[in-house]
Amino acid sequence: MADETTASPRHDGAIAEVFQTVLPDVEFAVAETASDIALTIDRADLERVMAAARENDRLAFDFLRCVSGVDQISALESVYHLYSFKWGHSVAIKVRCTPDDPHIPTVSHIWQAANWLERETAELFGIVYDGHPDPRPLLTEEGLGYYILRKSHPLAPIEEWQEDFLKEIQEAQARMATAAGPAATAPIDERALKIQQAQQKAAIMKKAREEARARGLSGAEEKEAVTAALRAWEEEQAAAATAAPAAAAAPAAPASDTASKIKQAQAKAAVMKKARDEARMQGLSPEEEKAAVRAALDEYAKSQAAPPAAPAPVAAAAPAAAAPMDRAAKIALAQKKAAAIKNAREQARMQGLGPEEERKMVQEALQKVAEEG
Amino acid sequence: MAIERELETIDLNVNVGPQHPATHGVFRMIITVDGELVVDLDPVIGYMHRGGEKLSENCDYRQAIGYQDRTDYLAQFNTEFCYVLAIEQLAQIEVPERASYIRVILSEMNRILSHLMFIGAFGTDVGFFATPFMYTFRDREMIQDFFEEVSGERMMYAYFRPGGVAWDVPANFKQRVRQLLPAIQRGLDEVNELMTENEVFITRCRGLSPVTPEQAINWGFSGPMLRATGVRHDLRRAEPYSIYDRFDFDIPVGTQGDVYDRYMVRVHEIEQSMRIIDQALRQMPDEGPIMAEGVRRVLKVPEGEVYFRSETPRGEYGIYLVSKGGDHPYRLKVRSPAFCNLSALREMSVGNYVADVIIILGSIDIVLCEVDR
Repeated sequence: MADETTASPRHDGAIAEVFQTVLPDVEFAVAETASDIALTIDRADLERVMAAARENDRLAFDFLRCVSGVDQISALESVYHLYSFKWGHSVAIKVRCTPDDPHIPTVSHIWQAANWLERETAELFGIVYDGHPDPRPLLTEEGLGYYILRKSHPLAPIEEWQEDFLKEIQEAQARMATAAGPAATAPIDERALKIQQAQQKAAIMKKAREEARARGLSGAEEKEAVTAALRAWEEEQAAAATAAPAAAAAPAAPASDTASKIKQAQAKAAVMKKARDEARMQGLSPEEEKAAVRAALDEYAKSQAAPPAAPAPVAAAAPAAAAPMDRAAKIALAQKKAAAIKNAREQARMQGLGPEEERKMVQEALQKVAEEG
Repeated sequence: MAIERELETIDLNVNVGPQHPATHGVFRMIITVDGELVVDLDPVIGYMHRGGEKLSENCDYRQAIGYQDRTDYLAQFNTEFCYVLAIEQLAQIEVPERASYIRVILSEMNRILSHLMFIGAFGTDVGFFATPFMYTFRDREMIQDFFEEVSGERMMYAYFRPGGVAWDVPANFKQRVRQLLPAIQRGLDEVNELMTENEVFITRCRGLSPVTPEQAINWGFSGPMLRATGVRHDLRRAEPYSIYDRFDFDIPVGTQGDVYDRYMVRVHEIEQSMRIIDQALRQMPDEGPIMAEGVRRVLKVPEGEVYFRSETPRGEYGIYLVSKGGDHPYRLKVRSPAFCNLSALREMSVGNYVADVIIILGSIDIVLCEVDR
């Protein structure tokens, strides 16, 4: 063991043949990557192949370098990079499963190193490693319930804390709209105008740059294209400014639409703030607080959906919805909901269901709560 | 008998962290103790998980360099090095000589920087209150000043590029490195006098949590943690990358795999890194390009995949890069050495005293940003 491992060629095509002779009845799809030979096998063969990789003297892969998940859209892939201290060779083994049936046998009994690596991949990709001794989520204590490294997961959904920021932008836009409308009543907000112009400018620059890249232009050409696009936009702006006084005379129709949107956003923010404050006053935990806020928002959305014909009294209706009278009931409902979600998820995990089925169970549980409520 | 029963102790859970100086970042351990003895330990990670792999998949190749700095924030040049090498291998980019030497020198300096940090922090864990910390930070400061001169940044360098480095080094580069080397050696001599030869220190660390080579390989250990057990394995020698095959250096190993060996291996590695830097300085051409020709800013990498591994101060740092063509990675998985080394913390700690668990954890030399990613 103390011998120095010697330099070995990175490409060792022979390793695929060794695998084939050791396991003649297993089908290996051999591919060459930039670093290793990659063997794709059926998941039914995984346990046999991995056991042989470790135990067979000619393979002797005693070191599991890495377990990586890859989302290939139609399939989820689990990639194992192996290294042998005895022979100094390495190989990559790939196994695939479908997103509907994301089960792959564990290799953690063969290499202890797989324990955490599989737990991480399971949490981020939703692959279930069957037979894992400790399938708890690794990075979050309670599990996320969704799989962030899948391609279907959006990079950044709009979060609760961002809504205030969005509200500000909407307000600025509304001010712009009113400014474009009857100029006499609403003085033009220069800051908002500047923001809007900057946003437009950025969008134009981005578009021009992307087009330039798509065409494969060089750095200098790309810069030129961007400046040209900007100049065109500025000329357009100047032309619009001369025509503006005429347009300003006519009252802008969409202004009322934006105004109602702002009112809605404000009402929503108020609901959220109230729910949060109440939750804090009651000394609820952050999860419960989140659930309470979500429940309040749901309630609010429902109250919105009921009278669609009257957008005007929205602002008045919202505080009423969050009136102190049903405060306790709402929180109780939120707690009930959270408990139902947790219960359903735990049950699904106990039964070893896949993520899709798990989600379905959670939805059913929520429906049941709604019916009872 | 009755008296003994009365003195019987019960198991108690002690929660260490997540905010605790001994956990070297945001890391939590739930320790079950029987008196002073640890009977169970549950490491909790994930506090620093930022989904950086997902973020990198939505950046182009150059933008994601900055993300590599934010994984192992004590060995930024080493992680950047691995990342750009992975891209270069996949896109088959030939790197100019001078750029390779600059990268190797900076990476080895960074290894010294990281190991100095380890020595300082480990000394504090063992109980030298702050003295080694002050000594090593004095030396670290010199190196960081030098890195700042080269890259313009103190911590997040983002200096390496696929194909070379971002800009040329200052004119006095070689001179500055030559000045630094003796200063580092002097600092190291002081540390040796203070710690390595200190009887109390040796008594505290010798024989603590010994790990056999078989265990280390099975647990996925790499880097100094693996070499401390006596396995003479270093990726710079076993699978030489970049220009590491041109240097003459030793691979320090331990004999017992205990905490003291892990410390000693790192101390000796500083000396070996200085040897490599010394040779690289003599071989490095004074003139020449620092960037491969024809490498575009927005790099398009052909379809394929690579698992590139390199030796960072913590062990085998791997980049599993899957490209489907285009200007950003389809999948970027980071194999983090500290993650695998940490995964066996329970096995290493059970049966030791609580105070020793802190030392064992310190001897792994974790960087939580790299563990969680």
